[in-house]
This record gives sequence, structure tokens and C-alpha cells, in this order.
Amino acid sequence: MKRLLSIREVPIFGVLVLFFGVAALGNHALFSASGLHDLLFTSSIICLLACAETLIIVMKHIDLSISSTIGFSSYIIGKNASNGHGLLYCLILGVIFGLAVGAVNGVLVAYLKLPSLVVTLGTLYLVRGLFNQVARGDFINSDKVPHLLTYMADHTFVKVPYLFLVALAMAIVVGFVMRHLRSGRDLYAIGSNLPAAHLAGIAVEKRTFWAFTAAGGIAGLGGAILLARFGQAQANSGLGIELSVVSACVVGGVAIAGGIGTIYGAMIGALLLQTIVMALGALGVSQFWQGVVNGALLIAAISLDKILSSRSQRTQIMRVSA
Amino acid sequence: MQTILEIHGAAKRFGGVHALVDAHLSLNAGEIHALLGENGAGKSTLLKTLAGVHKLDAGTITLFGKDFISAGTRGSLEQGIAVIYQEPNLFPDLTLAENVFIGRQLVHGKTVDWKEMVARSSALFTRLGVPLNPLRLARGLSIADQQIVEIAKALSLDAKVIVMDEPTAALSANETERLFNVARSLRAEGAALVFVSHRLDEVMALCDRVTIMRDGSTVATAPISDVDTDKIVKWMVGRELSDLFPKMPAVIGETILKVENIGRTGQFADISFEVRAGEIVGIAGLVGSGRSEVIRSIFGVDNYETGSVTFLGKKMPKNAPSKAMRDGIALVPEDRRQQGLFMPVSIARNSSITLLKSLSRFGLIRKAKENASAAEWAKKLQLKFNSLEDSVDRLSGGNQQKVVLAKWLSTNPKLLIIDEPTRGIDVGTKSEVHRFLSQEAAKGLGILMISSELPEVLGMSDRVLVMREGRLVAHFDAKDANPENVIAAASGANA
Repeated sequence: MKRLLSIREVPIFGVLVLFFGVAALGNHALFSASGLHDLLFTSSIICLLACAETLIIVMKHIDLSISSTIGFSSYIIGKNASNGHGLLYCLILGVIFGLAVGAVNGVLVAYLKLPSLVVTLGTLYLVRGLFNQVARGDFINSDKVPHLLTYMADHTFVKVPYLFLVALAMAIVVGFVMRHLRSGRDLYAIGSNLPAAHLAGIAVEKRTFWAFTAAGGIAGLGGAILLARFGQAQANSGLGIELSVVSACVVGGVAIAGGIGTIYGAMIGALLLQTIVMALGALGVSQFWQGVVNGALLIAAISLDKILSSRSQRTQIMRVSA
Repeated sequence: MQTILEIHGAAKRFGGVHALVDAHLSLNAGEIHALLGENGAGKSTLLKTLAGVHKLDAGTITLFGKDFISAGTRGSLEQGIAVIYQEPNLFPDLTLAENVFIGRQLVHGKTVDWKEMVARSSALFTRLGVPLNPLRLARGLSIADQQIVEIAKALSLDAKVIVMDEPTAALSANETERLFNVARSLRAEGAALVFVSHRLDEVMALCDRVTIMRDGSTVATAPISDVDTDKIVKWMVGRELSDLFPKMPAVIGETILKVENIGRTGQFADISFEVRAGEIVGIAGLVGSGRSEVIRSIFGVDNYETGSVTFLGKKMPKNAPSKAMRDGIALVPEDRRQQGLFMPVSIARNSSITLLKSLSRFGLIRKAKENASAAEWAKKLQLKFNSLEDSVDRLSGGNQQKVVLAKWLSTNPKLLIIDEPTRGIDVGTKSEVHRFLSQEAAKGLGILMISSELPEVLGMSDRVLVMREGRLVAHFDAKDANPENVIAAASGANA
């Protein structure tokens, strides 16, 4: 039991269940199968992007550009599909675009040693600007969205929306890499103690570059999910969701100071934030207050983390030399 | 005897500073080789070259008869050279097992083999005589234990050349002895060990040969049986050291600090003592005896639960370090890298950070005044530097400590609390620091000094307090204190 509680994700999951339970008591519709479906369906985008962001935050970096990447990618996929290209072709284009943006971030952060906050803020605007320039007033509407994507948005597998399953599959893949491959473990080392990572012979630049590139690729793939989820793409698709993704990660226990956290925690964080949005909505609270609650939760999450970590340090027995 | 490593005519320059001029080092299989020299003599540069961090400008390194390839830290590890740094480089968020195998995690097929890593690191810890839990995170580990993990890391590499840069600086006597036993068993297995230490008695006890560096060049290499500490010190400094601890007589004034029965559960209890103006009070004890915790509580960075602290006749509030500073208490912490200095910031800014108020006008810092103040202190402390604008991480350990001292003494404190004032500092700089502390005491500064080095405590203090397991167990006047009774009190032996 003690061991179970010491896993970071367990208390966060407890909070999620608690919130969902309380919200469901107040509004029975939430506790129904369709309530759960809605939660998973609406969270799928943030959950998928959380996979990308966790790779980055664990290294003590941040990637703000993912919202522009996913938006532009959804347009690229939708536009090419409406021009009669096959879905696979469109998907590959979207992913290549994402990888390219990620690679630009990666080169600037890993090799030119520029701060990731500024670099990705730059590419956030840059990509969005290009997107607006290319798309102008263009609007990809639902009848131009590839059939398979529409189908995935409308159907479930064992009551779980396909879109969420895509995010879950991504989380399992990325989670496996981060837990069981050397390359993934190195990301934790880089975030935990950068000078020591250099001394330990870790290829810091290479790992950082590929993590940013992979994050871009995930966001590129996410374009398809975004297109499916909303059934349309236009110049402000995905606008502003980067901060929701960062919030989800932090609430889910991915330490902004690097070195700590998992994809699963980040996904639970995303579901928790979405639960609150839905619960407050169901209770008729205005969406302005929802922002207040989300902000407060974010601060509460890092405060709690601080308190818990200082306590676990205090309980360490002082080693008295005998 | 087989020569494993041969460094010949090594030279390295950083900007205008010649770190290495003509360094030589030869290591045999199955020997422990001491590498000695003052701060700035070039030891660190030489070690970092072996570690693959620096590349030589000139000179050759041969390893097992082949050219050593300088290919980054990883390249050095792969060629069988492990360097254990003075400041441990662990990953606080990772388990100890992963820390041991970081960068080359054991894999089963393609995936990391956690079970094997835990089992092997556990075996290594047992071999070192410190059964740490491999699943524990490195965060919060004592420096002594962090060192153990670093050594386990080197052992796991099966390195043939193991370089230890002051491994004993933070270890207690028992831990040091345990490390020596490990070093001897590695020697028996045919490894070559380089041992850097400023404790000459350790060098004499452990090492087979000694190489001494001065100003970037190798001065001498000799079997340990042919030398004594006087000779070594002479080689190191290139001059006679008349007195290691030039303590000046000081007029002891009134009581300035009065500590009464302070305690904190599980850390220390019933601590009472006084410090008077002009007096140096030394606190001896083993690492972990609670000395640092006590002084941190007095200064106010940590809390205490019982008792009281009175300074200059006024009761001090708990947990108020800024109040303590205003009232004239300065604390120089043990770990200067983490607690005392802003590493990437300039020497001038570091030494003046505590008196920004007096250096500024209308809230803006006056650069000229800041530089003047820093230059004055640099001169007083005989600081060796290139420019006051250089960041402090480019200074040697001894010179960093001088910057820390400048930073605190420039506030004109009445009481200086100093934790391990000369840890990891060479003999020459050490005596400069001692002379300086002694001078300040003679001017009326009260000094409370923690030190794990017996000659320092005995040579510098007017009174010696001894702590053991969180309690003050003995109290000697300078004339009554001797190595035997202090060690007996610190270790709990009945003398």
C-alpha cells in the first residue's frame, strides 16, 4: 500500500476519481456511459499532445509550438484529402511537416543552445503565421474530411472512442520508450542534472534534438485527430491549446523542473482538467470561472508536489557515522 | 611492472591562462599514485583531460601502449578511464541503480534490464561496505553516500584507470578507511589508481608513488618511501612554509553569541555554548554528528524546536536569516558550489552581492564602486584571477572559497559562522585562509568554525567543542585539547 502511494501517478488518479465521482453525484448525466465517452473524446487531443510535451518537459525544456504544428498539420491533411489524395499520403505529409518543425526546434535548442521557451514561442508564432498566410480564409469542412477520420470520430471500440484509443496507443509507445529504452532514460538524466549528463557521456545534443523532433512528429500526427475531432480545419485550429497541454502535464506530476514524471500521469492530468471543465459546465458555472478553477488547480498541483517532496526528504534518516 | 598510462609533456591553455605547461604522469598496473599540487597547479585540468572533457594543446597520452583518443567523456569511459570528481555528479531524480549505470544502462535485447541493474548495483554497494538501497532516489543523499555511488559507478565500469579527485574530502574517518580498503583491493586486482588529496597523512598511508605538480608542470615523481610530508609540501609550494596555522593572539572580549539548550527532534538536542568577540570556537565531530544542522539553525535557515539564541544581548527570532545578517552574523556554508556562490556570475558580482545596498544609489548598482570593493577584497585575500568579470566557476576551489569569504566579510559582521573553511583546498591557500581568519579575529570578529580536520580545529581554535550524534559531548580550552581527547570524544571512545 505504501509502495503504491509512493508512485506519483496514484494520488493524481485518486483525485481524478474523486472529482469525477463528486461531479457525477451532482449531475447524473456525467456518470453515464455517454458522460465517460464525452470525457475521453474531448480529452483525446490534449492526451495525445501530452505525450509530446512530456518528452520535452522531462528534459527541463518546454515546447509551446505544438499547437501551431497540430493546427497547420490538420489543415495540410484536410486540404490534400479534399484535393483527392489518399489518407495515407495526407497523413505522411502531416507527420513530415510536424517532424520538420520539431527538427527546427531541436537544432536551435540542442545545438545552438538557445532557450527552448523562446525558441518554441518563436516557432509557435512563425508556424501560425505561415498557416494563416497559406490558409487565408480557407475552410476545410466536414464533407471534405477523409471518411476514415469521420468514422473514427463517430465510433467506439468497447465503448472507448477511437480517437482516445489513438492517444492511448501513442502513450503506450512513448511510455515504453521513456521507461525501457536507454534513449528514454537519458531524457530523465538530462532533465535531472544536465552537467552530470554530459559527464556521464550521454549524447545530450542528439537526445535533445530527437526528442524535439519526435514531439513535432506527434503533433503532426495529431493533426489528423484534430481534423477528425472537429470535422473541420481553418486558420485558428488548435489555437491556444499548448498551455492546456503544459497544465495537464504539470497537474499530472511531470515536474516543470525536469527529471520527474510519466506520460500516464500527464494523461491523467489531462482527464482531470477536462472533468473539471465538464463538471463546472454541467453545474452551469460560466466558462470564465472554469478558467479560474483550472488556474487554481495548476497552482495547487505544484504546491502539493512541493509539500510532498519536502516531507519525503525530511523522513530520510540522518546517517550518523558509527 | 607494466605501465598502463603515460602522459608526456602535456600542455593546455585557456585564453591567457596556462593551465598545463609541461605535465608528466606515469601509472603502473597495481599502484595507487598520489597526484598533489596547490590549487591552480593544473591537477584538475590534467584529470579532465583524462576524462575526455579537455583536449591537450600539446603532449602525448599513451594508454596500454596505444595513443589515448580524446573523444569526450564517453570515449574515456570506453577506454577504461573513470574519473570520480570531488563534487559528486548524481541525478537526484533517478534511482541509485540507474545512477550507477547511467549512460550505459544494462539492456536485455533492446530494453533496459532493471532487475539486473538493481542486483548488480546492490552487489557493488555491498562490496563497498555501504548497503544503500538501489531503488532509492539519489535526492537527499549525504555527500559521503553520493561518493559511494560514484565509486560504485567506476567499479561497474571495470575501469583499469580510476582517478579519484579528493574522494575523502567529505568522508568521516571510518568511511575513509573503508574507501582505502576498497582502493587497496582494486590495486591488488591490477588497477591503477590516481588519488588526489590535500590530506598528506592519507597520501602517506595509502599511496605507492607520488607525483607533484606546480604551476602546470610536474615537479617530481617519487616512491612514497623516499619522501616525507615536509619534502612534499616544499615541492608543492616551492617555498618553505614556516607555520601552517599562524594563529595570532587575540583579545577575547564580551560574549556576543549565547546559545541555550537548542534542539530539534531527531537532529540535535541540548546544545548550549557561547562565542565571545575575538574568539575562534571550533566545533569538531564526525560527518553526520549534527554540527552543520546546529549552525544552520543558529543562523536561521533551519528551524529549532527548543531553547533560544541570544546575539549581542538580544534574543534572535527563529528562521530569520535576513535578520541575522542585518544584526551582523555571516554564514559561510560547507558546499560553496551549491550554497555559497552564483557559479556563472562574475567574481565582482559574487563578492558584492551581500552589500548591494551600500553600493547602490537610487536603487541602481554603481559598477565602479562594485569593482573597487571586489578589487580591494581580492587583494586582501590574495585571490588569483584573470579578470574580476570572469565567472567564478572558472576559479579553482581555493580561490572560490576566498570569493565566498569576501562576499561575507565585506558586510563587516560581528560573528562569522564558517563550515569546513578549507575543505578541498591545497596547503598554500589553506594557510592563507587561516592567516586571514586569524587576522579578522584579532580585530574583534567572533568566529564559530566547523572543521573535520583535526590540525585545523586544534591549531585555530581558542576553544574546541565536540559533537557526537546530535549532542555536545565535550568542551576543551585550546591548551587542554589534543588529538587524542578530541577524537575520543567525537567517536565515543572512553578516553
